[in-house]
Amino acid sequence: MSSIAFQLLINGLIAGAIYALVASGFSLIYSTNKFIHFAHGAVIAFSAYVLYFLFSILGINFGFSVVLAIIFASLLGYLLDIAVYKQLRKKKTSSVILLIASVGLLILLESLILLLFGADVKTIGFIKGSKGMEFLGAIITPLQIFIIITSIILLAGLFLFMKKTKLGKAMRAVSDNKDVAEIVGISSEKIYSWSFIIGSAIAGIAAILIGLEQNLEPTMGTNLMIKGFAAAIIGGIGSVHGAVLGAFLLGIVENFGIWYLPSGYKDAIAFVLLFIFLLFRPQGILRIKRRAEK
Amino acid sequence: MIEAYFIHLAILVGIYLILALSLQLALGYTGLINLGHIAFFAIGAYVSALLTLSGIPFIIAILLAGVISALFGFLLSIPTNKLKGDYLALATLAFTFVIYAITLNWASLTRGPLGLPGIPKPSIFGLSFSSNLSFLILILVIVLAVYFLIKRIVYSPFGKVLEATRDNELATRVLGKNTFKIKSIALGASAFFAGIAGSLYAHYITYIDPSSFTIMQLIPILCIVIIGGLASLRGTIIATIILILLPEPLRFIGFPSSVVGPMRQIIYALILLLILIYRPKGFFGKVELE
Repeated sequence: MSSIAFQLLINGLIAGAIYALVASGFSLIYSTNKFIHFAHGAVIAFSAYVLYFLFSILGINFGFSVVLAIIFASLLGYLLDIAVYKQLRKKKTSSVILLIASVGLLILLESLILLLFGADVKTIGFIKGSKGMEFLGAIITPLQIFIIITSIILLAGLFLFMKKTKLGKAMRAVSDNKDVAEIVGISSEKIYSWSFIIGSAIAGIAAILIGLEQNLEPTMGTNLMIKGFAAAIIGGIGSVHGAVLGAFLLGIVENFGIWYLPSGYKDAIAFVLLFIFLLFRPQGILRIKRRAEK
Repeated sequence: MIEAYFIHLAILVGIYLILALSLQLALGYTGLINLGHIAFFAIGAYVSALLTLSGIPFIIAILLAGVISALFGFLLSIPTNKLKGDYLALATLAFTFVIYAITLNWASLTRGPLGLPGIPKPSIFGLSFSSNLSFLILILVIVLAVYFLIKRIVYSPFGKVLEATRDNELATRVLGKNTFKIKSIALGASAFFAGIAGSLYAHYITYIDPSSFTIMQLIPILCIVIIGGLASLRGTIIATIILILLPEPLRFIGFPSSVVGPMRQIIYALILLLILIYRPKGFFGKVELE
């Protein structure tokens, strides 16, 4: 394998790791709630800005800022669920209305960021000028290695959580069949809230890694959401491991794509993949059962 | 001065009216959860701007803007015809992003993020609409034409078939109607009018760039259609006027424009959420989204 190809593969894995964090939180929420929480991307963006505010403006210790940012993400997700989605669920609204509401929330949060922090690009600047090192002819920074490792540990933890813990099992039960889960005494409302709390906490962790690696922009949430969402659809929506698979696939395809296309089209690759999967294989690579057509 | 401001607002209301009425045709009457309306608006704006910049008369450019948008609407409808509900919403939303990415990246045609400046003000057969007052008259004529056309469509037998498709697609097919074709025509027609609105917007502002066509711009239109009520033309008109004028006082309180922009979006987003929670039928709506 040539060193360019290897570099692209590495870049793809880094992008994939970030997308996987976005997609797994989103997928977790989708799997129990069965609607598309588009504002998930804005939760990530907002948490990244909170980290920027705490660490770069107030000068609070980095570790403490990170913990606060993750707690903030969790609370924000919980709040969105209680204030908006729960109210809509009470009226038994369709998933389309919930989707439109989530697009409204996305715009609301992005506009709030714009109002509070302004439109200019922000940098967290915790790691200054970290030098890349060579690894089999490809350049990778320690931070990028850290991103890949963190995301793998986190995703492994999430799998274990879903498989082994009582709460994880209850989530899978609600995801599988809400009515039956309620019969055996699982409160689906509680599970909905928990999936928002945990899914948004993962969003908070994603926010920190993204905030360290890239600059912050108010609209970054939409871009991340498209990638995370495309990854979830490609892998099979509603399945966390499908989302992770889709995320790495998307990251790699995107980075190899710009070998042939101008780099400006990098983002368009995700849309095109998303579109193709929505149309021809809405159940995703893993063929997750769900009716796209009634 | 104050007159110029009101004329400007009236022109904006006119452009949004065309957009909202045309979305109503797809979303309200046919039940297509189309979140790609801004894409058709963008296609219309770019087609018309590029054509007039290369010397083609406005009247041909605006018609072609509509026709090409309609063509895209029709093309989009073919693969998405079988999709329902949230999947259709997502495919059309993805379409918005694809068109946005193209306007941003096809720099040799659209000049990318630099945008297209110096789009000429319209003139039809030597009659120039360069002053804002004359532009307002042009908009008024077109809005009335669009309103009566859409009204004509929705009250015709074909309009009843559209509503039947929305309410029960299977039953409509049992009655021998080709609902795929019907939905394609509805989306194409809706895109046609959105393209016209895009053309008017481009020639009014005289400058367009990709940032005018993001999903941020979708929120006001969606808000108008849902607040006015699905399948209600009267509701759409009232909602357009109220919603476009509503954030305007912010300017007079003395906020800088960097605050007014996000505040406007926040107001729209909050209204959208409140209406979805408390009155999902809107104020004049006959049907609920499903």
